Amino acid sequence: MRSSHGTIASAAVITAVVLPFVGLMLWSFSNRWFYPDLWPQQWGLRAWDYVFGTAGSQILTALIQSLLVASVTAVISVIIGVPAGRVLGLYEFRGKNLISVVLILPVIVPPLCVAMGLHLWFIKMGLAGTFLGVVLVHLTFCLPYSVFVMWGVFSNYNPDYEDQARSLGASSSKIILRIMLPMTFPGIVVAGLFSFLLSWSQYLSTLIIGGGRITTLPIILFALMGSGDRPVAAAVSLVFVVPAFFALLFSARYLGGRSITGVR
Amino acid sequence: MGDLILINLDIRYGREPIVQDFNLEVRDGEMVSLLGPSGAGKTTVLKAVAGLIHPQKGDIIIDGQPVQDLPPEKRNAVMVFQKPLLFPFMDVEQNIGFGLRMKGWYGLKIRKQIEEIMELTQLTGLGKRKVHELSGGQQQRVSLARALVLKPSVLLLDEPLSNLDANLRQRMRELIQDIQAETHITTLFVTHDQTEALMISHRVSLLLNGRLRQVGTPQDLFYRPSDPEVARFFGGCNFIQGKVKDGVFQSDFGHVPAPEINGNGHLLTATIRPEDILISSDSTFEVEAEIEKTNFEGSTTRIWVKCQNTRFVILTSESKFFCGQSVRIHLPSEKIRIFPSE
Amino acid sequence: MVTPALAVVTALFGGGLVLGLAQSLGFVPAVGMDSLTVTHFTNVLGDPDFIDSLLLTLYISGTSTAVAAVISTAMALILVFVAQKNRLVHFVFQIPLTVPHLVIAVAVVFMLAPTGLVSRMAIKLGIIDSSASFPLLINDRCGIGILLTYVWKEIPFITLMILAVLRRSGMQLLDVGRTLKANSWQRFRYITLPTIFPSLGAACLIVFAYTFGAFEVPFLLGQTYPMMLPVWAYKNYSDVDLLARPEGIAAGLVIAGVVIAAIAISQALTQAARRRGVVL
Repeated sequence: MRSSHGTIASAAVITAVVLPFVGLMLWSFSNRWFYPDLWPQQWGLRAWDYVFGTAGSQILTALIQSLLVASVTAVISVIIGVPAGRVLGLYEFRGKNLISVVLILPVIVPPLCVAMGLHLWFIKMGLAGTFLGVVLVHLTFCLPYSVFVMWGVFSNYNPDYEDQARSLGASSSKIILRIMLPMTFPGIVVAGLFSFLLSWSQYLSTLIIGGGRITTLPIILFALMGSGDRPVAAAVSLVFVVPAFFALLFSARYLGGRSITGVR
Repeated sequence: MGDLILINLDIRYGREPIVQDFNLEVRDGEMVSLLGPSGAGKTTVLKAVAGLIHPQKGDIIIDGQPVQDLPPEKRNAVMVFQKPLLFPFMDVEQNIGFGLRMKGWYGLKIRKQIEEIMELTQLTGLGKRKVHELSGGQQQRVSLARALVLKPSVLLLDEPLSNLDANLRQRMRELIQDIQAETHITTLFVTHDQTEALMISHRVSLLLNGRLRQVGTPQDLFYRPSDPEVARFFGGCNFIQGKVKDGVFQSDFGHVPAPEINGNGHLLTATIRPEDILISSDSTFEVEAEIEKTNFEGSTTRIWVKCQNTRFVILTSESKFFCGQSVRIHLPSEKIRIFPSE
Repeated sequence: MVTPALAVVTALFGGGLVLGLAQSLGFVPAVGMDSLTVTHFTNVLGDPDFIDSLLLTLYISGTSTAVAAVISTAMALILVFVAQKNRLVHFVFQIPLTVPHLVIAVAVVFMLAPTGLVSRMAIKLGIIDSSASFPLLINDRCGIGILLTYVWKEIPFITLMILAVLRRSGMQLLDVGRTLKANSWQRFRYITLPTIFPSLGAACLIVFAYTFGAFEVPFLLGQTYPMMLPVWAYKNYSDVDLLARPEGIAAGLVIAGVVIAAIAISQALTQAARRRGVVL
């Protein structure tokens, strides 16, 4: 195959991937950009000032809210997911297939369906419109996700290291701290990162359960798109993308491409 | 039927040379093995002949046609890989018939060919089996059949037996020998197992460190190695030095008439195989030696002796020798092989 | 140690579905409805708007999956044969995997709206003379904007699933094919395609299932009539008329059913491939 074909194809791919972001960058740094001009008439930081300044405190609040919800969801999903993944990855027992199915359904079924069903129940339990309620509904699919990632990690994990440590006199907590966690660390970070991303990108489930009281970044973004303020919407979109980019960098560095295909 | 000629092949990986100055001729109907330790470049040569790798320099001639510029699909050579690599989405029959279908054949024509080749490779009755239902040996036979059915001018076998266990390997060796004898297909066979090479080839070519060291009949390589490294490869480890004077190689351990060697006074090296040195506990022989170590190996005993600052390894069928014993050894002159000088 | 995870998931997910099912069957004791009825389901399934939405959603999911599949196959071949050494491309190619759909949908609006970048480019080139003559690409009948968004996001996913198989067993099998006299087209048709088919099929079903139930992108880029099914379901659910609520939930359950069916088929395909020995 000729290398020139490769260069053209590579250039096409890179352009296709980068193009949407170019548009977002241009809009976010424009102060005035009316149709039909190809470049903004006036550049500026109005949108960014708005996003991070006090005038746009609504946006900052939403950003913080998103961070909190996603972080808490990620942490809880990892804490519950790691032991579950360990058991599933290291041991054989009956019912594993059933468990696999039970766990994969929440990841596949759209959050929409679950949120609608849970809403009434949450209202009755006083969870509607609360931080906890939103975290719980996000956990519904983030948790199984973590379990699967950790299942995969532990499938490749060699428990002989732990046995070795034990025969050298290490206690259980030391083993977990000094052997298991360091060895599975990249996997744990992936599970956490992807749980975070999943929760971070949620719109409808947050909207339904949060009931307008828990406002996250995507909710603000939708509102901005409705208002027609393109520069601010562009800036918020770019902020919205940041964690995704970090997750990608981390995975690429530590794990190679394969694990990312788990992200949906 | 055809022959294979490789001229001055030079194959590199990036800038690393893998095989250099490689010249070999495989005559029509011959089975030549390409022998050497792992990593010596043997598979690389095979892939170059098959067309899967491009040599930096050199010519490859199959059936009188230079093929360097032809892609694998157009060359009249087929390669059988180390792993069977059967197509998992086809059954045995479909796998075997693959090449024929690619040539445009179909129907009755193919079926007859496939049946014949399945009989030849002892696969009769397995036609409809799926690949994962076959044993390792069966898979390898299907892989072989898949190549043979195309009746190529040259058959290239890349260590097809190394993945099989010992007694299966022996049966497959015999099968390959029988098939080659019956079809007279010109074959280049890569292996790292010297016993195998000596056993089934018409001629053996030894590749060490990317260079061809010696080509000849199995007996040639075993009894008349061309240099010490070749000798060592086949287990020869006894080397003696001597000078040629007036047509006679003279050393401390024996004189060997060497009329074909010119020149006087050169220091030359010679070798003798462990099983050819004679040893006795009494004074039947003239050279004195002391036993340093013995190892009972079943039908033979391996003895390390020290003799005038040289060490020899001797293989004998007698087991009465012991450590520290004083013995006498004899190096029969007809068993001493003198290496030609550089 | 698995129990906490199972408990949470069963309670939340199972609970969500079961409760949803109950509500859609008319069983809401809290407001005094305590008998089962299938009226909601029949209402939904018989509603012409539902049928229109269902068809539209099937069209969007099917088309975006098909287009992504074709391009992904090409991309996989390109990445393996033509651009193997180019690490930049391999990295850039993975970017869409983690980017939220919403961001791309926003970018698509900025590019394809009547006052978007492409339209401005068209005016510059003299192809059109006002924003009104720019063809409708978002909030349009064919869902072009939605299709583009989905295709952008899904191609890397499908490609990477194909690449895994191709790199592992495909390359060696292709060498075998070459020595067995197959030309490039034959190798593609008889070796590459059967080798990647299980992975490709499984990936496509996952993509189909996801796009069928996704809300955000159609909400932003879809038209007001007919709506895509998830949007229709939500609109019913959040309607002022409380009676529409169970119908929204019922529609949501239909969506869940279709999604589960698609994934079940995908799993069956994977199992069949494993049994055949084409390791995924």
